[in-house]
Amino acid sequence: MYNINFTKYKYFTLSISFLVIVFGFVVTFSKYGGFAHSLDFNGGLRTVVELPKDKSRTDLESYFQSKKIEAVVILLEKEKNIFQLDVGLGSLSTIETLYKEIPEEKRETSTSAIDRFVQLLRFEFSLPKEKVLSADQVGAVVGGELTEVGITLLLTTLGIILLYLSIRSQFKFALASAIALVHDILMTLALIGFLQIKPSVPIIAALLTLLGYSINDKIVVFDRIRENAHGKDNLALSNIINVSISQTLGRTINTSFTTMISVVAIIVGGAAELYDFAFILLFGVIVGTYSSIYIAAPISEIYDRLRKKRFA
Amino acid sequence: MQSYRLLLLPFFILVVSFTILYPNFADRTLKVVVREDVYSLPEAEQKTVVGGLFERWENDYGKSSGWTIEPKGTLPPKENPFYTVKGRFITSAKINQISQENQSLVNEGKNKLEPTWIEDMIRGGKSLSIKLGLDLQGGMRVVLKGDFEDYTAKLRDLYAKEIAELNLTLNNPLAKPEEKEKAQNRLSEIESSFDLSPMRKIVELEKAKMIIDNRLTTQNLTEPQVRIQKEQDAIEVSLPGVSNSAAILEILQNTETVEYRLEEPNSFTYKKIISDSESRLMDLGQREKTDIFLFQELVKNKAGKKAQDEFLAGLEKKYNIPKDYKVYAMWARGNSAKSTLLPRSFVVLERKIALSGNDMTNAQPSYNSNSYGWMVSFTLTPNGAEKFFDLTSENRGRNLAIVWGDKVISNPVINDPIAGGRAEISGSFSEQEAIRLANVISEGALPIPLSVLEMRFIGPTLGIESIEVGVKAVAIGFFLVMVYMILYYRLGGLIADLSLLVNIIILAALLTLMDFTLTLPGIAGIILTAGMAVDANVIIYERIREEIEEGRALSIAVTRGFENAFWTIMDANVTTLIAGILMIRLGNGPIKGFAITLCWGIVTTLFTSLFLSRLFMELTVNRFGVHHLNLRPFFFGKKEGKHV
Repeated sequence: MYNINFTKYKYFTLSISFLVIVFGFVVTFSKYGGFAHSLDFNGGLRTVVELPKDKSRTDLESYFQSKKIEAVVILLEKEKNIFQLDVGLGSLSTIETLYKEIPEEKRETSTSAIDRFVQLLRFEFSLPKEKVLSADQVGAVVGGELTEVGITLLLTTLGIILLYLSIRSQFKFALASAIALVHDILMTLALIGFLQIKPSVPIIAALLTLLGYSINDKIVVFDRIRENAHGKDNLALSNIINVSISQTLGRTINTSFTTMISVVAIIVGGAAELYDFAFILLFGVIVGTYSSIYIAAPISEIYDRLRKKRFA
Repeated sequence: MQSYRLLLLPFFILVVSFTILYPNFADRTLKVVVREDVYSLPEAEQKTVVGGLFERWENDYGKSSGWTIEPKGTLPPKENPFYTVKGRFITSAKINQISQENQSLVNEGKNKLEPTWIEDMIRGGKSLSIKLGLDLQGGMRVVLKGDFEDYTAKLRDLYAKEIAELNLTLNNPLAKPEEKEKAQNRLSEIESSFDLSPMRKIVELEKAKMIIDNRLTTQNLTEPQVRIQKEQDAIEVSLPGVSNSAAILEILQNTETVEYRLEEPNSFTYKKIISDSESRLMDLGQREKTDIFLFQELVKNKAGKKAQDEFLAGLEKKYNIPKDYKVYAMWARGNSAKSTLLPRSFVVLERKIALSGNDMTNAQPSYNSNSYGWMVSFTLTPNGAEKFFDLTSENRGRNLAIVWGDKVISNPVINDPIAGGRAEISGSFSEQEAIRLANVISEGALPIPLSVLEMRFIGPTLGIESIEVGVKAVAIGFFLVMVYMILYYRLGGLIADLSLLVNIIILAALLTLMDFTLTLPGIAGIILTAGMAVDANVIIYERIREEIEEGRALSIAVTRGFENAFWTIMDANVTTLIAGILMIRLGNGPIKGFAITLCWGIVTTLFTSLFLSRLFMELTVNRFGVHHLNLRPFFFGKKEGKHV
């Protein structure tokens, strides 16, 4: 049996986590002024174009990159080389400037942002009019409904989990799990903000998945702690925690590993639009595992000690 | 759990699951219906339209899809005006795409994906194939807002007669106090029905949703999703694969109603005023100044319903028609049956609705060989039949007009009271019109008029590249996980893999059966399910190994391993299930899709890991004579502790 003292470094790990979260959010809001804009959340411009056969995704992407336009390129149809281009609202001013650079005789006067974007595209890729299959200024798909619903949902979910776990085991474990879950979410959000990953439907899916994974992980570890602590109230909880984590370590490693196999397969597979999804999941698995051991367990111990002190 | 017989249960479930999933993999037949008018085109034009279809067909599906199309290269015969497309994986997006790219050739509304025999058996022909959401294949999203003002106006018409009668009672000095009180109560009851509480609005929207659902299904549109947006009194319709279809929008919004209204009494006072003024203009040779001519122009120029309504309201003012009456146009064809349906004259009807579409059901179009015209026969509801009898007995000699939408299509004279609850409408219908009218009566009209609040084309969140690569990656990931499990837990790993496969199959079948629409978050939910299923087995095996290491006999170790792991697995899954149920109830869109797969995934996981895995394991140990169960990985080399 392995004998690792997991709880020894609890103050260190707790403060590291805290600092990382604060750091992530500070950078997000001071340097970038918040989370990245995305079409799904804020709305933006959407065009579908049929490119000539000799142009590919790379041409589009390198063009947008060189002009500093934030655009997502999606291949809709391989045979016909049809692409969908999503441009966030953040790039409107860049498009405005670029539009003015088009030689006067080649541009038509237009007022709407989407018109200007289309003209820019047609100019750069010398597209005839009929190759622009559609162009819309679109509204947010998920943004509005999500922020509010998301927060209510998270809080209610946490509340119910707290209740269930308090009934099934003990309040301290329930509390520790809930805090660790919040930790995982905050940590991931900090990362999303820090790297300016664009929030989108896949990102939401990843967040939800990691939440489920994290709950699962914490409960398995805590179940073992509870089982080992049964009838041993006089023993220091920290020892029980250490033993329990060691006992479940094999399972924890196996589960994290198998989950990561699938996630890494997606990253290596190279599906451009799934990259963020898989990346967040990978991060989430690591954070979820880490927080079960180094956040949730120590918190339950600290809570236990404080409580015993009060009644001592 | 040491009985072979228990194996029958998973076996049975698997057979059922495979049966349900069969239509997804079967060769399917799609009928692409050719528009009728194509056959009357000059030959050269026919050739270009057909040529267009096959050129695109070659480019898009010819090489890659393995689909066949019959007859190839030519127009199908007029008796069987459809192309038969056969192949695997014919999706709704493709069906809609074929139709839209060939609009001048294909009659989109009539395309039909032939149900497989299983769908015929289980669902009575309803589709059983897995549906993909807008985020996976793109499509059209329309948000239709309920116009409740218009709705109440219509409601007032419906109650107009009763309100007038009640007021009469109230103002009648001879009426008894009880009667007055009763009238007062009824009056406030009616008034309260004009007052639309949020709850009432939802109920009306629900009704509208059902009707839209019906209409879309009869249009053979594949996989529409209709849901209510409570926040803005609107109905959201998602049509995967549809990119731009004005026709569909028209069908959705169609608020046509059918109702009976009595015409003004037989002296036709008001009608005469109008027709006198019209004939005066005619006498002066100023046909282009007559109201009916102006109205016809309005219709020919497709000015829309609103302009028509305004025009008719203008007439009411011009001729000082009293409030209890309303001016309508009587629509008919010209001399030949093929000429267009146009307003031909004006009639003045009572404002109150004598019998509304709600009183009629079960309408059928039929051809009347005596008059060489189409008519619609229908049944009246019991309540409607009673009203109809009263109406026809009290108003003998008067005209009873049938108003379809805003058109008066016939106004026969009431000769005798009509009892029996069956009636028919004959107007100068074409076949299509008769079918449409029958549909309006049978399906019911939209209870509330709907206006388009928002309509947009939604591209898929992921391109085909990503979906292809993603599916491959997930498959590879699955495979690697399964290999890893076998390497790590050997025989145990194999059993875990087996139950994981069964798990996914049952889950897919369940979701299909529930008409679930697969979205990207839904796929994420399935991935999480798989992860948790593997985890459950890992927990169990670790427990079994602990028991073995403590020196217990194998069969006891297995039993105890499952028992010890039971509550851990339950706790983990039930907590997630609670979170999932909350997400279904509170969330919408992406959150909901995720949560539904997750919740059902938990149900299947509990079944496969706690029942199926255990069954397999115990049978292996107790029946198949496996005495040594090594749950140590190949690559860690440590020898298994001896057990007795």
